[in-house]
Amino acid sequence: MSAPRTLFEKIWSDHVIVTSPQGEAMLYVDFNLINEGQSFLAFDQLRLEGRISRRPQQHLAVTDHYLPTVNRASGTAGMANPEIRRVVEMLDENARDFHLPHVGWFHRDQGIAHVIAPELGIAQPGMLITCNDSHTATNGACGALAVPVGGGNQLRHVVATQTVWLKKPKTLRMTIDGVLPAAVTAKDVILSIIRDIGIGGATGYAVEYSGSAISAMSMEGRLTVCNMSIEAGARIGMIAPDDVTYDFLAGRKFAPKGADWNKALAHWRTLPSDAGATFDRELSFDAARFAPMVSWGTSPEDSAPIDDAVPDPARIDDADRRRHVERALDYMQLRPQTPLAEIAIDRVFIGSCTNSRIEDLRAAAAVLKGRRVTVRGMVSPGSSAVKRQAEAEGLDRIFTAAGLEWRDSGCSMCNGSNGELIAPGERCASTTNRNYEGRQGRGALTHIMSPAMVAAAAVAGRLTDVRRL
Amino acid sequence: MQPFTVLTAVAAPLEIASVDTGMILPGRYMRRHRRPGHDYGDAFLYDLRFDATGGARADFVLNGPAYRGAEILVTWRDFGCGSSREGAAFAVMDFGLRALVGPSFGEIFEVNCIQNGILAATLPEAAIQDLWRQLRASPGAAITIDLPNQSLIAPDRTVHAFDISPLRKERLMRGIDDIDVTLEYRDAIESFEAKRRAAMPWLPTAQRE
Repeated sequence: MSAPRTLFEKIWSDHVIVTSPQGEAMLYVDFNLINEGQSFLAFDQLRLEGRISRRPQQHLAVTDHYLPTVNRASGTAGMANPEIRRVVEMLDENARDFHLPHVGWFHRDQGIAHVIAPELGIAQPGMLITCNDSHTATNGACGALAVPVGGGNQLRHVVATQTVWLKKPKTLRMTIDGVLPAAVTAKDVILSIIRDIGIGGATGYAVEYSGSAISAMSMEGRLTVCNMSIEAGARIGMIAPDDVTYDFLAGRKFAPKGADWNKALAHWRTLPSDAGATFDRELSFDAARFAPMVSWGTSPEDSAPIDDAVPDPARIDDADRRRHVERALDYMQLRPQTPLAEIAIDRVFIGSCTNSRIEDLRAAAAVLKGRRVTVRGMVSPGSSAVKRQAEAEGLDRIFTAAGLEWRDSGCSMCNGSNGELIAPGERCASTTNRNYEGRQGRGALTHIMSPAMVAAAAVAGRLTDVRRL
Repeated sequence: MQPFTVLTAVAAPLEIASVDTGMILPGRYMRRHRRPGHDYGDAFLYDLRFDATGGARADFVLNGPAYRGAEILVTWRDFGCGSSREGAAFAVMDFGLRALVGPSFGEIFEVNCIQNGILAATLPEAAIQDLWRQLRASPGAAITIDLPNQSLIAPDRTVHAFDISPLRKERLMRGIDDIDVTLEYRDAIESFEAKRRAAMPWLPTAQRE
């Protein structure tokens, strides 16, 4: 009988082709996702070298970062900024020239890569998936080993060889046991964890999230938790597959069918960490102690429960932390000890690979139904399929009746690479993943939180405890 | 990729600390398609080499006629620090440089240089300052870098030894990049792939639609 192993170790060792004398492993890539970003560097270099894509059918190019979420019908001609248009066109050309399947502008499946890969059943348990995006770990919620790669050399290497060289990370299990209180969501769970362990707290580790609170979570919630692994420093985040995973995958476009489904299921059931498997590090959290969170500063760890207040740097002993908080409050134009629920906002954004799935939109719509927002804002569903589903459920009419814009799908205002930005000094309640200085535009003031909390803030015109709305 | 063995070439002194990757390749060039005849060579250190109107700065070392065709740059502390942009190494290469010599380099930048066949050799600060002195005294003087012997020969024939990891040295000397290294395992990859696909026929494959 072999030694008990973790989920990560099983998938990792299943993919090792060779290990170099320096200790790096060459791993087989089952599937690779490609966005516009800097991927043109990889393709330019491959072209200069005369190299081809080795297994084109194991890639999916996904245009998500630079697409506008309005005025889609006019296509690239309607894109005012020639540089942004060019980046979109380059992925069209690169996918065509390298014979890569491509979900572009007008594809029925169009959406954000990390929303559509699970939705299409591409992200399956036991797979090794790469993507030139730091939020690739999202796909780990399906029980896959999903690893971000650099947009230039590393992506070029994956396209040319269908392999990736990686140094084996250490393992960290985060066990979240207990029942989440009412109105506490997956976003609040991951923001609380990041607040506790810091943005470097999981650096160098592959994280497995487990415990009864994770088991009880929907697939959408699990995707949100894994999505923000990188905000705790971990490039890899994953959740063991279970019936929630299998029910989610069954019948999806790329999911196994017929006899293959039963074979796949038998394999998937061998993947969860064995009883007695050891991790390099273990952390435990009590789900009952989590509360709806909002960020107040310029880093995801600068977050607190909504009934808390802006911290006072004068009361922080650690000199580095004090300097960071001083600078963060200066940038965020906030005074120490201001109750978080008194911070007035100018606009809201609901979207991004963190919180744009159907369950997220339902949660926001449940708050907004029969209410009017007092600030501007937009909702960008994570995929065209999510958009169709939301419209079938009438959620779009709830958003527009409340006074929000109902947009098309894309990364949009999460980092504004498509030009959809927040103005300097504008304060935004956002369902996104990063609140660094300038993330949503130069001088933009970002507060990240769950979809229901953003909806509540939109109604109240300030950060608000959704439980008290 | 061109193998790097022994290089004797004009060397230019760049006596500036912390030249970050944003100075090496300004951000506005990062969306540029890199094609033959339209590469990143002209963007290399653009804001140091040219003024706001695009005129060459006469006082900048690389604009001096003696340094035309320089293939070695003798840099100062932390050359290539800052963002991980891979285009910075392309700019160095496209400008025509084959080797950088300095007291320290940005870690990711150094890896990107090796990947593109550019040697980043580290020497003590005193040795770097001595090289600058000689290069200033006779502009256009050549330096020899002997990678197999891990030595650098100054214009005055002083010999400096430098360290490099055996793996990086082998890659530079054979002129191979990461893909070439990987494809030496092509048989292992193909048999792994065939076994995996046979055992798990359900693994997704996509088509162009």
